[in-house]
Amino acid sequence: MNFAIKLLTSTKFAVATIAVIILLSAVGTFYPGGDVVFGSWPFLVFIGLLALSTALCSLTRVVPLWRGVMHPPIEVSDQFLQKLPYHANISGVTASQFKAHWKGYKWHEASSSGTTFLFAQKGRIGRFGPHIAHFGALILLLGVAVGAAYGYANPYSNKIAVIPEGSSLQVDGFTLQLNGFNVSYYDNGAVRDYRATVTLIDGNQVQTRDITVNGPITYRGLTFYLYGYDSNGVIESGKASWVAFQIKSDAGVPLVWLGAVVTLAGIMVSLYVSHKRIWMKGSNESILLGAISNKSSARFFRDIDIVRTELKDRAQERDVAGSKEI
Amino acid sequence: MDIAALEQLGFEIALGTYLISSILFILYFSTKKRRLAEMGFTLVAFGFAFQTLALATRWFYAGHPPWVNTYEVMSFFAWTIVGAYLILNVRSDYRSVGTLVAPLAFATLGFASLQPTNPTPLIPALQSVWLLIHVPIVILSYCAFFIAFVASVLYLFKDKQLSEGRLMEGPHQPRDSSANATRAVSHEPIGVLGKFSLDQLDDLAYKSVAVGFPLLTIGIITGAIWAEAAWGSYWSWDPKETWSLITWLVFLIYLHARTQNWSSSLAAYIASFGFLSVICTFLGVGYVLPFLETYFSVSTGLHGYVGGGVVAGTVFFCGILGFVLLLLFATRKKPPSATEAPPAEESTEAAPAH
Repeated sequence: MNFAIKLLTSTKFAVATIAVIILLSAVGTFYPGGDVVFGSWPFLVFIGLLALSTALCSLTRVVPLWRGVMHPPIEVSDQFLQKLPYHANISGVTASQFKAHWKGYKWHEASSSGTTFLFAQKGRIGRFGPHIAHFGALILLLGVAVGAAYGYANPYSNKIAVIPEGSSLQVDGFTLQLNGFNVSYYDNGAVRDYRATVTLIDGNQVQTRDITVNGPITYRGLTFYLYGYDSNGVIESGKASWVAFQIKSDAGVPLVWLGAVVTLAGIMVSLYVSHKRIWMKGSNESILLGAISNKSSARFFRDIDIVRTELKDRAQERDVAGSKEI
Repeated sequence: MDIAALEQLGFEIALGTYLISSILFILYFSTKKRRLAEMGFTLVAFGFAFQTLALATRWFYAGHPPWVNTYEVMSFFAWTIVGAYLILNVRSDYRSVGTLVAPLAFATLGFASLQPTNPTPLIPALQSVWLLIHVPIVILSYCAFFIAFVASVLYLFKDKQLSEGRLMEGPHQPRDSSANATRAVSHEPIGVLGKFSLDQLDDLAYKSVAVGFPLLTIGIITGAIWAEAAWGSYWSWDPKETWSLITWLVFLIYLHARTQNWSSSLAAYIASFGFLSVICTFLGVGYVLPFLETYFSVSTGLHGYVGGGVVAGTVFFCGILGFVLLLLFATRKKPPSATEAPPAEESTEAAPAH
């Protein structure tokens, strides 16, 4: 069991699974309709494995990560600081002077036996970005699953309805009546627009609406798409004697959109927000400073260098001023 | 002057300047004369200005954004890669990358010129606000992945040369011996390879993917929203959708690889494969699948810009794919005998002693 969890949560396993999905998908593009590969059990099994791996990865990592990020060690040892990618012994500067120059951070302070400990951090959410993205991807997959299950359950969904002009269709407690169908053209004869005008009759409520190629209508959970029309009739007399509508009801769609947006947010957060941490340990004469950032460290470390130079310049100015007094 | 003629003039001047600068860059590549690269760069910038004019006038007189038919999409793609190259050169000196950018811009624009240039009125499915958003976002993501590919290939070449002891690590490690100084001078014209360290190239690749990946994600989501409205399904495993997902998954592997302690050259190869997938998504779906249609009854999908001149398109696709593969093949390190040679550091230090 332990071994299984270790395997499933490892990045190598996830990457291998993604690689298999890539290969199967590439093969799938050579088959029409897609279902030969994308509806096949091996493909679904690998998607399932990836989902499981994604879920386990985040579940096993997010709690320790939360603890580490929300409750960082403040009273740290010298060895801890010296192991950080940025560390320096700064003399002639006090921790509070550095703190005053380091803008935009909230400092946590502790002291024991004459030593002051200071800690500040920024961009904590950056560390959670990957897990937000994982969570979003799982919501998206749930939405797909819900859509697939509900699609089978709803008797009207995934049906094509052919309605003769002037006739109507009885669905799920309301009526859709086809009033007319119009094709408009550009000057060069290319089609500009297909437009079906329908009236929805639901008890006392009556409303007339247009359905176009990019403009389906949704009523009581059912969406009607323009699917086809009597092209022979249009060519011969300019009138379509029938119009076909695709009817869809996909309860998973809101989940899919929610999942997509959460995934995107997670990706952006993990790519663009860097988690910066800075520790100081000092007495009056000198401080030991350590810093780490999970990305764009160069800029972060340069900012620290700038503050150090400023403080050094001030210290020198003070020295000069002091010497004048003497 | 007729506005359509103005657009054509801008396009042709851009095509011409990209051709001349391609020649200059190829000459630069063989002679290593710095001035040739500078001239090439100036010409590319000149051509870019004219192409901007051409695209703007076209948008104005066609009445829709200039990324609907093949001619427009290819021209727009060439514009984005040249634009990215110019932006890259604002803060750093990546002039010699023009050796890759200018010929690709010329080939893409040349391919565009073989297509019907008349603006096509928008078919009903394309009349959507998503046309304005989805297409440029996707093209920009391709452009970012192209830059990631360029950085990755440069990384792999530099890595190869370092391991073969033919190039010193960048100027960031100061050298004091006079023998080394003359060596540095003789290597100076190598351009980007001499100028940037492995870390810098690696960083450029990562940053480009960090731009391209969210863009592709947005591109796929907006495409799905559009598909939901136009075709009644947010995802139907259309070849275009499938290949864009493959590209997304390859870069997903890249980003996961970056969180692990895997080697940077592995990351560079993954990014390069990602760009191969971009080529398949962008061109392969439209220009290879139609040929297989007879055998496999493949659906060529609903992305209308890949239409007309399928043969030219296939040649263009195969040419670019072949060129990318050739470049990747050339980054292969020599068999063990060469790699066992002492690392670059030592060999350059040892040189004066002999």
